[in-house]
Amino acid sequence: MSDAPDVDAGGRGDESGGRDDAGGKRDADDGGRDDDRSGSADPPRRSGRLDSETRQGTPYTESQVIMSTVKVVSPFAFTYGLFVTFHGGGSPGGGFQGGAIMAAVVFMIAFAFGIEATRQWLANTVVVALAVGGTLAFAAIGLLPVALGGAFLQYDLLPLPILDPVKYGMEAVEIIGIAAIVSGVLMGLFFVLARGFNGEDSGPSIGERDPFSDGESPEDGDGVATDGGER
Amino acid sequence: MTGTVSPAVAQVTAIEASLFVFVVLTALATAFARDVLAAVIVFGAYSLGMAALYTFYRAPDVAMTEAAISAGVTTVLLLLTLAKTTRIDHEAVFESVNYPAAGAAGLLFAGLAITMVDVPAVGSPDAPVWSNPDVTQWYLAETYAETGVENTVMAVLAAFRGFDTFGEAVVVFAAGIAALIVLRREVFA
Repeated sequence: MSDAPDVDAGGRGDESGGRDDAGGKRDADDGGRDDDRSGSADPPRRSGRLDSETRQGTPYTESQVIMSTVKVVSPFAFTYGLFVTFHGGGSPGGGFQGGAIMAAVVFMIAFAFGIEATRQWLANTVVVALAVGGTLAFAAIGLLPVALGGAFLQYDLLPLPILDPVKYGMEAVEIIGIAAIVSGVLMGLFFVLARGFNGEDSGPSIGERDPFSDGESPEDGDGVATDGGER
Repeated sequence: MTGTVSPAVAQVTAIEASLFVFVVLTALATAFARDVLAAVIVFGAYSLGMAALYTFYRAPDVAMTEAAISAGVTTVLLLLTLAKTTRIDHEAVFESVNYPAAGAAGLLFAGLAITMVDVPAVGSPDAPVWSNPDVTQWYLAETYAETGVENTVMAVLAAFRGFDTFGEAVVVFAAGIAALIVLRREVFA
């Protein structure tokens, strides 16, 4: 471990032992604690542990048990979410419940394999497209009958040639409307909360650095290094 | 009216009774836990108990929402928020009781308990919410003919009250936008 000089720092080293991915964070933490490491002048705030009294970063513990469990469980949970969404007309459930279950599968994967890795796998574009596209689809299905001279969401005016327009209009609202909105917004809330407050923690990740940023996040180097440790 | 209550009390099964005890205990633990992390975890257990209770009383749609949103997603988001903020290590496990607040809560509980004698028994076929021929029975009888789906809850949400559901969906969308604005970010990252 790289924190050999810091083992005497109150015995905190072995509490977080076995977490080689957090070496950099722990160094910064302990350095701020004993004030003898002027090189790492970063304040003690990214220890990475959930049960620490200092300000924390995104916690991630690489655990074989959690990763194996999630690998086995997540396909079934995701299929169940799809079933609840698509079979909402004939059994309990619907778009809201199914979308929440599918978003929860993404949370599971993020907790097992790291939030940063999941964030890069599931780009911001996907999350935004789900939320915005779902809202637009719901609005379009609702407004199309209005354009055809009916009322809002008057399903029997939907131009579906063979299928029953009422039943499949409702299914469309549930599946491409509500399920997409709920899963997209929940995943977005998860990712944005995991990242924290802008300017206090770290900026957007390198690939998605937005051109409108006004330099409010001066610790990009720290943020990138820390995220790199989580992969 | 007490005549309708005592058979219902007699019908409470062991599973129901243990679920009730579990829910009440976890609710009290959530309220009195001094440590925020412990409160969040116990609150997740409370939501899971409520989901089981909803399933037991044949409200599977509500149970699914409670299990997925309240036990799962909310717990995860609260844990993430805790990880992002400062958490103080406490020596005491439980919060000391605030007696004026406990008295106010007890009075509220007593006032609500008085009304319980007039609540119909669980599963009673005479309960107004069930036997009402103009609302519940109408939806149960007409949903399939009107919409072609068997799930009355979904038919009410997506068809009969579709405009309300559109408003709710937009509120969920707005919640995502609001989180971006509050956290002063422009991407979900």
